Amino acid sequence: MVYLDNAATVPLLPCVRQAMHEAEEKFFANASALHTPGHLAMNKVEECRAVLAELVGAEPSEIIFTSGATESNNTIIRTFEGHQIDCSPMEHHSLLEAARIYKGRELPKLYSYMLYNNETGEKLKLPVTDGNSFLHSDLTQTLGKVAVNVKDLGLDYATFSAHKIGGPIGVGALYVRDGAPFKFLLVGGNQEHKRRGGTYNTVGIAGFLAALEYARDNKTWDIYNKTVRKIRDTLAKRILVGIPGSSLNTDTRRGKSLPNILNVSFEAAEGESIQLYLDAEGIVVSTGSACAAGDIKPSHVLMAKTGDAEIAHSSIRFSFGLDNTMADVERVMEVLPGIIDRLQKISTIKRSKDE
Amino acid sequence: MSNLEGQDWIYSEKVKDHFLNPRNFLMGDESKFKYDAVGQVGNPICGDQMRMYIKVGHDKDGREIIKDVRWKTYGCASAIASTSALSELCKGRTLDDALNIGAKDIDDYLGNLPKHKFHCSVLGHDALKEAISNYRQKTK
Repeated sequence: MVYLDNAATVPLLPCVRQAMHEAEEKFFANASALHTPGHLAMNKVEECRAVLAELVGAEPSEIIFTSGATESNNTIIRTFEGHQIDCSPMEHHSLLEAARIYKGRELPKLYSYMLYNNETGEKLKLPVTDGNSFLHSDLTQTLGKVAVNVKDLGLDYATFSAHKIGGPIGVGALYVRDGAPFKFLLVGGNQEHKRRGGTYNTVGIAGFLAALEYARDNKTWDIYNKTVRKIRDTLAKRILVGIPGSSLNTDTRRGKSLPNILNVSFEAAEGESIQLYLDAEGIVVSTGSACAAGDIKPSHVLMAKTGDAEIAHSSIRFSFGLDNTMADVERVMEVLPGIIDRLQKISTIKRSKDE
Repeated sequence: MSNLEGQDWIYSEKVKDHFLNPRNFLMGDESKFKYDAVGQVGNPICGDQMRMYIKVGHDKDGREIIKDVRWKTYGCASAIASTSALSELCKGRTLDDALNIGAKDIDDYLGNLPKHKFHCSVLGHDALKEAISNYRQKTK
């Protein structure tokens, strides 16, 4: 299998799997308990908190563990319930939907702008805040791919997720700047200094810790920037040269996008069909087509960017991880041109060049 | 209901077969198929568009039948599979009979499409109706 859907989920790193097995045996106790097994479990939680804080330039007291990016995003929106909320149109549904439901007219205002988008990899310009506004950034795709510092970025809040860096699904974190307003989402427990109720997911957090240590020790952002970027750029060039009617939705220039995401549209060919023909060949990608998500509308990100539903329906996202090699590009180019050619030839839409 | 347990593909085996090996599609230039009428349904903006091309002949009783059929589709896997299935379903039928083919017939033939796909990707029968109507207009 050629796995090119790393922006959706990165396969568990071997060191993460090992750390989680170890945690299941050694750190099974309730981390809030005062006895020794509980204390040992809590040590693991605090170790993870410290490593994440160090990696993103925060204080450990500014990190809250959550069940993932969706909870982190919802928590911040609920903190600003009834307040003005300005989200970039590129935000994840977990922000856009929550903001639509809970926003109001009061000040201070919340800005929510992700640093890098999950569909196109595009880098967004973060707004500048004043005394009457606060800034949240969803760093789910950024963590491990590009070195970041929440203080340098001027953030009041940031969202992180474990499964985008080879950790387990179901663990995430929230950075809340010391002194920034905060309202808890889950009540009924004293965990996280009453900022997030619920028994600690120690095994998951131990997995998150292993993934964070892997990122820190290997400086994964350097590998993404050098090695993964080359693979991504090679595929981009090969597609543009080898596949008529293809156009990039990712600006691959340095500093403009994440180094591991490539979003491409194929004129007159529909995304879900491309995705499933690739799947039948053992190549795993995702699409911004409406059909694939069981939705009636295509990708809101590509619609915001291009305003063209056909481009959105015809889009494929290739997202690379640390395991991908140039051989994966070769494999894609063995089958993709034929798939697109056939779909274009049976399509009701004529390619503009053919008209 | 189809048994989804252990299935590694989101559609039924029959859908998969018609998607991976579609029948009666028209590759490239339309002039490659000598058709009598054509009908179209859907919209690329919505993600699905189908076109049915029919060639009309007569059966031994002199009734008009769909002697041959081709199609083109822009759309998802179930759109391609359902148009392919329709082309098999309508071939050889009288025009009156073919007009009765509905979405449910296509769904039954394919062994049930996912519910959320049904309304958007099973549209081909409307293109077929339009093709038959266009044929009758032309030969009136």
